[in-house]
Amino acid sequence: MRVVLAEDLYLLREGLQQLLSAHGFDVVAAVDNGPDLLRALLDLRPDVAVVDVRLPPTQTDEGLQAALAARREVPGLPVLVLSQHVERLYARELLADGTGGIGYLLKDRVFNAEQFVDAVRRVAAGGTALDPDVIAKLFAAGPAPSLARLTPREREVLELMAEGRSNAAIGQRLFLSESAVGKHTASIFGKLGLAPSDDDNRRVLAVLAYLDGR
Amino acid sequence: MTRGLRAVVQGLARGGWAVVSALLLAAHTALLVPGFGLGMVFLLPWPFVRMRAVTNLVRRSLGVPVPYRSRPAPPPREADGRYRHDRRLYRSPFWPHQYLYLDWSLGDPATWRDYGWMLVNPVVGGVLGFGPAALLAGGPLLAVTRGPLWIAPGLALAVAGVAVAPALVRAHDAWTRRALGPAGPGAGSLKVWLGRRFLVLVRLLALAGLTAVTAGLAALSVTALVLCAGGAVMVLPVVASWTRRVTAMRRDLAERWSGVPVQTPYRPEPALPPRRPDGLYAVGDHLYKTPGWARFHQRLDWIWHDPATWRDVAWTVADPIAGGALLAASAGAVGFGFVGVVVPAVVRLFDPPDPPALPILAGRPVLALLAGLAMVIAGALFAPLALRWHGRWTALLLAPTAKARLALRVAQLTESREDATSAQAAELRRIERDLHDGAQGRLVAVGLALGAVDQLIETDPASARRLVADARDSTAKALAELRDLVRGVRPPVLAERGLVEAVRALALDSPTPTSVESDLSGRPPEPVEAAVYFAVSELLVNVAKHAGATAASVRVHHARGVLTVVVHDDGRGGADPAGGSGLRGTRHRLAAFDGTVQVVSPAGGPTTVTLEVPCGLSSPRTSTSSGRGSSSS
Repeated sequence: MRVVLAEDLYLLREGLQQLLSAHGFDVVAAVDNGPDLLRALLDLRPDVAVVDVRLPPTQTDEGLQAALAARREVPGLPVLVLSQHVERLYARELLADGTGGIGYLLKDRVFNAEQFVDAVRRVAAGGTALDPDVIAKLFAAGPAPSLARLTPREREVLELMAEGRSNAAIGQRLFLSESAVGKHTASIFGKLGLAPSDDDNRRVLAVLAYLDGR
Repeated sequence: MTRGLRAVVQGLARGGWAVVSALLLAAHTALLVPGFGLGMVFLLPWPFVRMRAVTNLVRRSLGVPVPYRSRPAPPPREADGRYRHDRRLYRSPFWPHQYLYLDWSLGDPATWRDYGWMLVNPVVGGVLGFGPAALLAGGPLLAVTRGPLWIAPGLALAVAGVAVAPALVRAHDAWTRRALGPAGPGAGSLKVWLGRRFLVLVRLLALAGLTAVTAGLAALSVTALVLCAGGAVMVLPVVASWTRRVTAMRRDLAERWSGVPVQTPYRPEPALPPRRPDGLYAVGDHLYKTPGWARFHQRLDWIWHDPATWRDVAWTVADPIAGGALLAASAGAVGFGFVGVVVPAVVRLFDPPDPPALPILAGRPVLALLAGLAMVIAGALFAPLALRWHGRWTALLLAPTAKARLALRVAQLTESREDATSAQAAELRRIERDLHDGAQGRLVAVGLALGAVDQLIETDPASARRLVADARDSTAKALAELRDLVRGVRPPVLAERGLVEAVRALALDSPTPTSVESDLSGRPPEPVEAAVYFAVSELLVNVAKHAGATAASVRVHHARGVLTVVVHDDGRGGADPAGGSGLRGTRHRLAAFDGTVQVVSPAGGPTTVTLEVPCGLSSPRTSTSSGRGSSSS
């Protein structure tokens, strides 16, 4: 699997490169600034990109902007964004086009190599991987009106769905059968007013609705 | 014919209302004299409210909706059992209730429309109502009393009375609807115009009354100075503080009535110097034993050496002359023109046996009438200008001089700089403590654990693995703590996206649905951005915690060198602009940038907080996503 890596701290870039190579990824480019990243994404068309939000030259959200610009050119280009902090605002922007293939994680998550690599694979396959912190923040702020209609169990399922887990994984985590999880997800889609369509797409839209708090 | 006759009868009934309104007017006038003249304002609302029974009857007969505001709720009991009105607490609900009642009854514009109706209706309603009946009865009466020559005209008058009756009844009803109905959006611009003129005249009259107070003060000041010269310096602070109270009121009125803002010019009162080692207090070159005496002499010194004191005295002497002249030229002209010239001239036209004296054009009442009317009109036209000039005159002596303004500004800057530096020091202390107790300690623990791992890795791999897991845990915790710290110092979104997007992120995280609007074309300076960001953050937390709002909005706007942020919520209001540590913190934070915080939060809501910070905007960043996206495609 071909990966483009963007990270401006040398140590972290080398570490990530090693980690990904060790798990069988082919790191085709490792860049340290926004313009190089955009060029690499558009020229190399990797299977997935691992991108730090803050990059030179402006040291603002260069990485995020480059990723969004690349996805406008190549819809659905899988991007996993890493950051020292997570913002609902950014998560929303990343998911806004509804095509999936988005990850948004705190940098701390690379500590657990297995889970991190798992998240990269999920994103490469077109799924989502949102950091539990983004989700925790949503509930710290109190449930939005539409989410208030969900049962506690459905809310748990939605949280795990937002993290990007499959129905099987959710079932495992909550000690439910896969078909029971399927029933819960169907009920969630109904309550959020999402018409039946491609299931993967609906999962992204459900998460987006969740982030919007509507 | 029957329609006409019925209209005549209807007119009679309407004429009845005119009589009733005339009686009401008489009753009101009887109560107005002690109410206004003797300051017994509590006599005023009762008749106004009673009058509503009559006006409502008239309204009901014409199907006009009732326009009054609903009665005020009784004053709520505070936690300590007292009752609050404005900024005072009362032991019994009586006075707060009286004040509320007064505000409610006299503050309702419908009350004053009722009053206007009562003033005018005895004439208008009387003519329109009794007119047809008078013609119908008067025509034949003329014929009977003046002989046969009047038969034809008398009958014609009677017929005309019946013929015009329906139209007059309609006109009467239209007038009543206009006078008593609720004020529509574009309700009578003439009425508004007249109302404004009238208001200006009332204000001028009130100022004239206050000028009398000023004249009294001038006499007092002069006496006090003479006494001072004789050695009785004790009187000076007393008279000065009275004078300051009066001038403070006049400054306030100059701003509210004349639209001329006048700043307070006094130097801030100095604090008492600390006690010397020998137990005495030093004020100037003198030493005093007790703090009371020291304070008194310091006060004396402070008042004596403040130029604003002497400008106040000059103003009290000059105001009765200069202010009085302005008032005489406007309100005086209207009053004299109407009472002194127009009324006697009109009376003279009727040629009574004992004609009143005319001060001008005594031989020609018609010319005098015209001259009087001209006086009234000229005075009324001049009135708004006179009011404005009066404000400027007040500002001339009561506003701070350029030097005093500079001194005030220096005092203000010193205070805000102290606030800012102490806040900064406290902030640094907090950061240092957080780093020391948190991340630093955890990194030491990680280092220790890794050292131990180095030792154990060969001999006891299981323990080594456990230690590595611990170290990883500590690192994660240290990162989380650093993240929180950074958020408090300079939120990353603010650094990455600027104020508006950062506020949007705040709004997203707020439990109250919050919309954000902005028209910023660039970014404010970084320190201002941070201060405003934290201020908005605090306000949104307040909304979530206290307001019980269903929606909030934040508007960010920059015009003429001032950044304005308006935070609005539809909650229960009642936020105390003075109290509340949150609001005070916000005020302090913005004061360092000359920023201001204005809170409007009536009980029952909504609450609007306006932050204003003077600052420029830098040109917008050019390397935004859209810019780059289009350049690469």
